[in-house]
Amino acid sequence: MFMHVFGYRLKCLVRDKETVFWTLLFPLLLATFFYFAFGHLTVELEGFNPVKTVVVDNEAYRGNAAFRQVLESLSKEGKNQILELTLADENEAERLLEKGDVAGIITVCDEIGLTVKQSGINQSILKAILDQYTHTAETVTGIVAKNPGAVRQLIRDLENRKSHTEQVSFSDAVPDTMLAYFYALIAMACMYSAFWGLRNTIDVQADLSAQGARRSVAPTHKLQMVLADAVAALVVSFAEVLILLAYLAFVLGISFGNQLGYVLLTCLAGCIAGVSFGNFIGTVIRGSEAAKIGILIGASMIMSFLAGLMWVDVKDIIAGKAPVLSYINPAALISDAFYSLYVFDTHRRFVINIGMLCLISAVMCMASFMRLRRERYASI
Amino acid sequence: MQVFKAYFKVMRGSAISLAISLSVFMGLAVLFSFIAPKTAISSFEPTKIPVAVINRDGDSELAQGLVDYLAGTGRLVSYPDDEEKLQDALFYRKVEYIAIIPPGFSDAFMSGEDCAIRKVIVPDSTSSFYVDMNIDKFLNTVRLHRLYSGEKEEAQLVAAAMADLAVDTPVTVRSFGRLPSSHGPYSYYYAYCAYALLAMIMTGVSSIMIAFNEKDLYMRNLCAPLPKRSMRLQLAAGHGVFALGCWGILVLGSFILHGKSLLSSGLTGLYALNTLAFAVVCAGIGFLVGSSVKSYGAQAGAMNVIALGMSFLGGVFVPQTVMSKSVLVVAKFLPSYWFIRANDAISELSRFTGDSLRPIYGSILIQLGFAIAIFSVTLLLSKERRVSYL
Repeated sequence: MFMHVFGYRLKCLVRDKETVFWTLLFPLLLATFFYFAFGHLTVELEGFNPVKTVVVDNEAYRGNAAFRQVLESLSKEGKNQILELTLADENEAERLLEKGDVAGIITVCDEIGLTVKQSGINQSILKAILDQYTHTAETVTGIVAKNPGAVRQLIRDLENRKSHTEQVSFSDAVPDTMLAYFYALIAMACMYSAFWGLRNTIDVQADLSAQGARRSVAPTHKLQMVLADAVAALVVSFAEVLILLAYLAFVLGISFGNQLGYVLLTCLAGCIAGVSFGNFIGTVIRGSEAAKIGILIGASMIMSFLAGLMWVDVKDIIAGKAPVLSYINPAALISDAFYSLYVFDTHRRFVINIGMLCLISAVMCMASFMRLRRERYASI
Repeated sequence: MQVFKAYFKVMRGSAISLAISLSVFMGLAVLFSFIAPKTAISSFEPTKIPVAVINRDGDSELAQGLVDYLAGTGRLVSYPDDEEKLQDALFYRKVEYIAIIPPGFSDAFMSGEDCAIRKVIVPDSTSSFYVDMNIDKFLNTVRLHRLYSGEKEEAQLVAAAMADLAVDTPVTVRSFGRLPSSHGPYSYYYAYCAYALLAMIMTGVSSIMIAFNEKDLYMRNLCAPLPKRSMRLQLAAGHGVFALGCWGILVLGSFILHGKSLLSSGLTGLYALNTLAFAVVCAGIGFLVGSSVKSYGAQAGAMNVIALGMSFLGGVFVPQTVMSKSVLVVAKFLPSYWFIRANDAISELSRFTGDSLRPIYGSILIQLGFAIAIFSVTLLLSKERRVSYL
């Protein structure tokens, strides 16, 4: 009997085109939009490109061989290129700056000066380069005054400046903030599984739908019916989230780390939480179907917002300022589980997330169960 | 006037969803106006990169000197020596550079051994490059003093290096015509307006069209004594008044939020004109959606996909300057792209000359072209339906 109810329920759900749109196609479309809008944002926004600069080509510049040599070596094409240098007269330089084609104008007169249109990281790098030139001159003058004999060695040493930093990392993960948007999106898709849970509760309660009334008088045991419905909803939503996951991973190339088993476990726990949430809204909250749908959409949007779907920093801010909220928000738990799998080598935080998620699902299922059991109607 | 009056009666049914769109937008607009970068600079401010320094080398003079120097050139954020917290901070860019001074660093450095500051960074990022420069500059200066000045005392070497590094290159900020207040908070407000206009006008116009295109109602109206031309004109007037109303509310909102700075920029007229052109496009899209879909469920789906799609791909939520080139090529086929292009051009305007205004008017005209095309397609479709109903 269980398989019979389960099979028909599955058919019922899959044929609900509108809900399939919101739970499957909408997240897929949103993922595509996210990818096109900021899939490459980290590289575009944060990646280093040689700073475009113009030097005023005047007598003083041509006469200052040491400085010219420094600029030329910094703008030599290759891996270590720092500047993209243009030479121009004063008017042309001003025009380039106004148009925004260069970050700044370097002018050599009595001293070396920089002209910019605005503050920014590229302008700061330009200033740091010019500062460095002045500082080195300062250092050399100071040392030579104290120890004139060292001048030759000192000058030779200037050419082999050493790098004093060494890159290490805590884990293999590249800290790409934009990934958090995609994790929050999967969390949203999991929470949208609630539509299926809600649909089940509407179709099983006699006072909410004709189908519910019919099923209430059927001889099938109610617990069996409710369980078969829930499993069908879970199968549909898990399949949808897997499609989304496959699309993100294989078509858009979003990284989830390399722990596939745990990633799937997160999806499953997320779908269980979503379906339980739908059951919870459908049974515990009284009101029309439209009102329940409204509450469901509103609640899942708020949860997704707090999990960083619209603005990624929100999740981190909440975790810092109101940590309780991130422990009771299923969407935040789901996206943080993905994040922990990607970023950390240990599973401490992941286990906490999944544990909390299961606990919340259990509480919501229990509440719906209490509400549904032994429900009697005076007249249906 | 019956149709015109009926228009706004039907509109009341969409009042709640319109109010939700408007309040979500206003909420976001207020939020973003607080976090939008404050501009209107008159002096140069070097960028302060947030850096976390984990000093495992104790209180040595050199390590302390480096921390002090980084505090001057960047913004030190204090974090405990806890990997999980540091990884969180780097992922969410609370810090962009984690510098770990390893134990015994100062002693090794002072005795000339090979040693390095360990860094955890966003690979290949500009900010890490900038901080690298500063660390190397400090340590190289100390090294030169140690090797050649004859001084051996750590504290003296650090002090000498600090003195050398205190010299500053003079920086002039050049403003061209207008003060460089480009990308003021109101520029973000007007960019986000695109989403609000799409959501509100599309919902409103398409809801009306679905109601009036309902088959039975449509056929009854066809045999009403009211000339069809008059009915259509009244509907069109309704769309016009509604779209103008939405536009008016948003422009009013910009005065409430950014009144003074917006008025003093002298750009209000251009911003308003650009949003008005986009409002016409939105009405066209709403008209098309309302004439093509039959259920309110499908309308909600189409609405969300179009509004979000146009906003994401056109550069409303993410600036066009940082979007990938290939996406922008495709985005040129969307009116929202031209809206944002005009909006960006307006905020970057430094003087009102024909040359600088031409691209703005060009983008606005392209939007109007889109509107005309969309209206024409819709009219063609509705003519076909008229024939198919009969």
